[in-house]
Amino acid sequence: MSLSVQHFTRTYVGSGGSAFTAVADLSFEVSGGEIVGLIGPNGAGKTTTLRSMAGILRPTAGHISIDGHDIVDDAVAAKRVLAFMPDEPHLFEYLTVAEHLRLIARLFAVEDFEPRARALLEELELTGKERSLPGELSRGMRQKVVIACGLVRPASTLLFDEPLTGLDPVGIRRMRQTIVDRARAGACVLLSSHLLHLVEEVCTRVIIMDRGRKVADGTVAELASRADLQAAGSNLEQIFLQVTGQNGDDRKVHSESES
Amino acid sequence: MLSASLYIIICTARNRLLMRVRRLREPRYLIGAIAGAAYFYFAVFRRMGRGGGRGRSSFSPSALLARYGGAAGFAGVGLLLLAALAWIVPAESGLLAFSEAETHLLVPAPVTRRQLLVYRLLRSQLPLLFGAAISAVFVPLAAERRLRFGVGMFTLLVTARVYFTGVTRARARLAASSAAERSVAWAPLAFLLGAITIVIVSIVRVHGLLPLDTPEGLLSTVGRAIGTWPSALVLWPFTAVMRPLFAPSDAEFFVGLALALVVLGCTVEWVLWGDGVFQQAPDNVPEPTMGRRGSVQAARARNVGWTLGLSGRLDTVFLWKNAMQSLRSTNLVSVLPIAGTAILVGVAFATARMSATNQRAPAAALAIGSLFMAAFAALLGPQMVRSDMRGDLQHLDVLKTWPVKPAVVIRGQLLWPTLALTLWVWFALGCATAFSAAAFPSLAVGVRLSLSAAALVLAPALVAAQLTVHNAVAVLFPAWIPSGSQRARGLDAMGQRLILLAGVIIVLVVMIGPGAIAGGILTFAFYRVMGPVSIVPAAAVCVAVVAVEIAILTELLGAAYDRIDLPQVERSE
Repeated sequence: MSLSVQHFTRTYVGSGGSAFTAVADLSFEVSGGEIVGLIGPNGAGKTTTLRSMAGILRPTAGHISIDGHDIVDDAVAAKRVLAFMPDEPHLFEYLTVAEHLRLIARLFAVEDFEPRARALLEELELTGKERSLPGELSRGMRQKVVIACGLVRPASTLLFDEPLTGLDPVGIRRMRQTIVDRARAGACVLLSSHLLHLVEEVCTRVIIMDRGRKVADGTVAELASRADLQAAGSNLEQIFLQVTGQNGDDRKVHSESES
Repeated sequence: MLSASLYIIICTARNRLLMRVRRLREPRYLIGAIAGAAYFYFAVFRRMGRGGGRGRSSFSPSALLARYGGAAGFAGVGLLLLAALAWIVPAESGLLAFSEAETHLLVPAPVTRRQLLVYRLLRSQLPLLFGAAISAVFVPLAAERRLRFGVGMFTLLVTARVYFTGVTRARARLAASSAAERSVAWAPLAFLLGAITIVIVSIVRVHGLLPLDTPEGLLSTVGRAIGTWPSALVLWPFTAVMRPLFAPSDAEFFVGLALALVVLGCTVEWVLWGDGVFQQAPDNVPEPTMGRRGSVQAARARNVGWTLGLSGRLDTVFLWKNAMQSLRSTNLVSVLPIAGTAILVGVAFATARMSATNQRAPAAALAIGSLFMAAFAALLGPQMVRSDMRGDLQHLDVLKTWPVKPAVVIRGQLLWPTLALTLWVWFALGCATAFSAAAFPSLAVGVRLSLSAAALVLAPALVAAQLTVHNAVAVLFPAWIPSGSQRARGLDAMGQRLILLAGVIIVLVVMIGPGAIAGGILTFAFYRVMGPVSIVPAAAVCVAVVAVEIAILTELLGAAYDRIDLPQVERSE
């Protein structure tokens, strides 16, 4: 079980032919059992990377492979072992919660669907909402349905884009545990989030992106020991601010507020 | 609040116009704008310059109806039936569908609910004004009457929209526990039922039962009946709204307009007053229309009685998904029993009439109507039923993560609309065949049955071929297909639609052509031996050729689907 990204580049062509490179020459690997945090400021290219890994966007250059299957050349096999949980809960307006899970079970040929679905609905506190349409659910509930759709199949690679958005404290705690449990079971997990304390707590490794490029990769301890980051200390937030060059702005904000 | 409403309306209109001008830098919009402008020039301005349809045809429906008591009276009866139909067929006017921004910025603002409703009423005027202007341009009238017609149409559209909103809200309270709510909800329905009863009784009094001998007899009977005082009284609000459309002089127009405005004012006041009563009721039910625009109404999922199996072909997953989406998003399930009953009553009436009095007219009308319905479903259905890739472009980011071969996705997307439309066409053709003897007495039974069988065989191929072309457009030019329920607006969007329509027709002709030629040759070869029955195997050959073409096309489109880039997909304005 592994996820491999090699020299991945993604360029958007806007109106009038202007091009914008969202991600440039990104390479990294995630092994089974690892939870890798993908962090970066807004516009760093995290979501573009995750959506390209999920097969939603085509890489402009480079390769992405899931369990050895290229997401472009062998898309069906790659997608079969992949679960992507986006930050925006996109659901079919007129399918119920139970029907969404059933649809996914059919598409991904889930064998033990009924017990898995029951357990998941219980785990994500969706019991009793099986016959609800997405329009009847709160944003947090819809996010849970998306997560349930991702977890109902036995995927070896899990991609989470801001998985805790809209969840309540109990949901956040359960979700955190779910992510850890899946990794312990051997899945490779890539998690994008702005919640640095969550990343620090659950991730075994961190990749920091800035303006489409990877600017740091390693465990928090490894990053803290880097010569250029020693001033930041062992706190991921400080490391992040240092790496992305935002700590200066931060100090400025502090000094302005103090004055 | 009024100034704030006007500020929002003016700023929105100005910024929308600027945005549309700016996007002309993109070739797809520029080409669309050129096509749209050309269409407008040739279809509208040149037409106006020629003085409309004057002199083109001596037939004038309003002149004909004037002989029987006036067109406004007949139009009033039509409006009364439409007003009653609004209670039976669930429809939303969308008037109170607040946008996300309105929900988050205006609803929490310190304004009354009445002011919010008035704001929405004002906001809905611009599209109606545009619609009225377009209808005034296209109606075959002398140039000097167009302005009067446009103003009259605008008043009618506004009144209808406000009325439909009131009906939607009242219908949800018909079974409310509060007596005040129930009385407000039932009062207009009771008035309508009373009005219809009075009109029917008046017609029966004038002529007796079933005045269907001749069209002239029918018009004369209805004209005389609606002119008598109880009918004229109950029809007054409906006739008053229609009168400005048919006013022959400026003086009559202004009098008619004043009366129509009185009706509009009463309708607005009824909706606002009803809303006040509904809001004060202790068991205030959730508003069916005060939702976010484009969001799913908070209604429980209707049980359609079809559970997706956990194994099987993957293309049937799309069949199931699209069927669920269609059956739940439309009011098809609630409309079907009504439509079914109406059809059964029509069939029983036509049959009884034919066997009792040997009158063929009702049966012939049913046959012609059914044929028209079949042709409509087969030729325009694929354009209208968008529960395929066109509707799913907004879900592309979900679909793309599914482990399904692209060609299977395309084929799967075609299944539901093909099935639904084919069943519809078959049903209509069945009705037409059953009564074909009355409509086409000169044709022999064998000819009629052969034609009918050939049409039944051809229908799925014709529908599937058109859907394939529409889906090909969605896959090859996703940016030209508006995603979701929003409809792209503006001159450029209209031009895009015209170009697409022309392209679809050309491709369809190319697709059907080889099958039609093969079928034609077969008919020519075997007609002497088999007679008219030969067109049935000819139709089957045509279907086989089209099926092969569709199979090849879906494979090719699969590759194109794989290459669709999400940013290409048009987002709503």
